[in-house]
Amino acid sequence: MERQIRIEPVTRIEGHAKITVFLDGAGDVRDAQFHVTELRGFEKFCEGRTLWEMPGLTARICGICPVSHILASAKACDEILAVRIPETAVLLRRLMNLGQIVQSHALSFFYLSAPDFLLGWDADPATRNVVGLVAEHPELARKGIRLRAFGQEIIDRLGGKRIHPAWAVPGGVNRSLSAEDRRWFLDNLPEAMDTIRGTLDLFKASFDCEARGVLGEFTSMYMGLVGSDGTWEHYDGRIRIVDQDGSIVVEGHDPSRYFDIIVEASAPWTYLKFPHYEPMGFPDGMYRVGPLGRVNVCEAFGTPEADAGLEAFRAEASRCSGKVFDYHYARLLEILASLERIGVLLDDERILSPRVRAEAGVNRLEGVGIHEAPRGTLIHHYQVDDDGLIEKANFIVSTGHNNLAMNRAVAEIAKMYIHKGDVTEGMLNRIEGGIRAYDPCLSCSVHAVGQMPIVLDVVDADGGLAQTVTKE
Amino acid sequence: MADVIIGIGNDSRGDDGIGPRVAEAVPARLGLETLAVHQLVPELAERLRTADRVLFIDARIDGTSIRLDRIGPEAHRGVGHSCSPESLLGWTQLAYGTVPEAWLLSVPGRSFGMGEGLSASAEARIPDAMGRIETWLDGRGTPDPTDGEEVA
Repeated sequence: MERQIRIEPVTRIEGHAKITVFLDGAGDVRDAQFHVTELRGFEKFCEGRTLWEMPGLTARICGICPVSHILASAKACDEILAVRIPETAVLLRRLMNLGQIVQSHALSFFYLSAPDFLLGWDADPATRNVVGLVAEHPELARKGIRLRAFGQEIIDRLGGKRIHPAWAVPGGVNRSLSAEDRRWFLDNLPEAMDTIRGTLDLFKASFDCEARGVLGEFTSMYMGLVGSDGTWEHYDGRIRIVDQDGSIVVEGHDPSRYFDIIVEASAPWTYLKFPHYEPMGFPDGMYRVGPLGRVNVCEAFGTPEADAGLEAFRAEASRCSGKVFDYHYARLLEILASLERIGVLLDDERILSPRVRAEAGVNRLEGVGIHEAPRGTLIHHYQVDDDGLIEKANFIVSTGHNNLAMNRAVAEIAKMYIHKGDVTEGMLNRIEGGIRAYDPCLSCSVHAVGQMPIVLDVVDADGGLAQTVTKE
Repeated sequence: MADVIIGIGNDSRGDDGIGPRVAEAVPARLGLETLAVHQLVPELAERLRTADRVLFIDARIDGTSIRLDRIGPEAHRGVGHSCSPESLLGWTQLAYGTVPEAWLLSVPGRSFGMGEGLSASAEARIPDAMGRIETWLDGRGTPDPTDGEEVA
C-alpha cells in the first residue's frame, strides 16, 4: 500500500512550507514534493503604481532581502528611463549588494545551518541549534555575529539607517558615500577577512569531499551572471547556463531577454512556480542558482584569495559540484570573494564622487532589472504606460529558480534515508537540511512570512492518516 | 554607561510602525543610542553587550493602555532571521555572558493592515509614550513603580 509522509512546516527557513514524501507499497520512497502554502501576490499590488515607487514598494516584498529587490527594481527602472547611471552609482550599488551577500550568507551559515553539520545531524534537537553552537564553538559564533554585522553596517551606512531605505532609485542612488563611512568600512574589513578565512579552514578540516555527500548529489544545470571574461558577477554581466560537466549550454545571453530561455510552470500543490530552461521543457529544464550555481558557472572569482579557494574546491570534487551540501561551501567562498571585492571598490577614489544620479523621464515602456541576490538570480520586469504607471510586473526570485532542485533534493535525501517506511528524527533533520542548504526565502518567492515547528503526517494511499510526528 | 532604545515594527503595516516612529522621535542625548528596526535580528547582540540598559518599543495588538514592563533574557533554542526582545536578550547573554537591564514599552495599536501611517488612536498615544520614555531615561538606576502596570 502506498503512503504519504508530510513534514509541515519546515523550520529555520523564511516562510511557510511543508514536505510530502510518497512511499510505494514496500515503504520505499517513490517521490517527494516541497510545498509552499501561502500567497501574497505582489505582482498584482504593483499594477497602477508609478515606476518611481517601485524600488521602495518592492523592498516590502521581504524584510530579509529588501536590498536585493531595491537593486533589481532600480535597474529595471533605469531601463525605462533609458539612462546610463553615473559610474559612482554603479560602484555604490555594487558595494551595497556585496554587503547584502556577506550579511545574508553569514546568517545562513552561522545561525541557521552550521548547527546541523558542526554539531551533527543526529544530535539532540535541544542542542542542535545556534545555542549548542555557542557552547561548542563560542568564538566562531561570536565572529559570525560580527561578520554579519559588518555586512549590515554597509547596508545601513549607505542606505541611511532607515527601514527599507529607498536608496537605490531610478537613475542611480540618492546618497553618496562619505569619507568617514568609507574609512569605517576599510578599518573593519580586515577583521571580516580573518573571520571568513578561519571559517573556511574549519569547514574544510571538518568535511572532506565524501562527507559533503550527506545531503545527496544529483545532476542539473546551473545558471548565473558572469562577466565578459567568465568571471563571477553579481550586479551586471550576462546569463550563462552550464551543465553538470561544466559545458556551456547558454553563453552571453542578454539578461533583458531572459524570457527567451526561461519560462515558469505551475503545479496545483504549491504556490511557488517552477522556472525552467524552456528549450528542455518541464521538468527536464531544471537548473540551480545561488551560491553553488554561481560558483559552478564562473571561470574564476577574479580576486586572489577566492580564486585560490575555488581552485581547492574544484580539486576536491570536479569542475561543477552537484552536491547539495556544497551550497554551504560555495556560500563561504562567496563571502570571501565579496569581502575582497569590497576592498577593491573602497580603494577606488571614484567611489566618493557626489555625482550619483541621472535624471530622466519615461523613455521606454518596458524594463528588465537582473542581478545576483544572495540566494540567486533575481529578475524584475516591468511594463509601464506613457506616464510611468505600472501595467504589468513580473518577478522571478532566486528561490523560485531553485524550486525544481529543492523538490529533487528532498526526494534524493528521502530515498537515502527512508526504507521500509521507517521515519527517523535524523531523516527529518537531513531533509530539512537539504532545503536549508538552498537558504530559501519563501517570503520573496510567494511573499509569505513566519516560522513554525514541524508536523509530519504519514498518510496511506486511501488518504487515511496513519501516523503524525510533531517536532517543536 | 549607555542606554539603547530600539523601536521595532514595520512602517508598511499601519500601527505596527509605532515603535520605529516613537524611537526616531526621541531627542538625541549623550550616552543614548536609538535604533529603529523592522525586526530584531541576532547581531543586535553586538550593540546590547556594551549597554547598561535597553528599552524596546513595540506595538501591541491587545489592551487599551501603554504598558512598561521589565523583561529579562529567555532561554531559547536558537535564532533565525528575527527574534523577540526576550530571546534577543537570551542570545546576548549566551554569546557574550552579559545582558543589560531591559524594559519593553508596548503601545496598543488598532490597525495592522497594509499601508503607511498610524491610526488616529495610535497617533494620539505618542505623547504618552514619549513621556514614559523621558521618565525611563531620567530614572535610570531606580526601580519604576509602574513596571508591569498599564499606564495612561
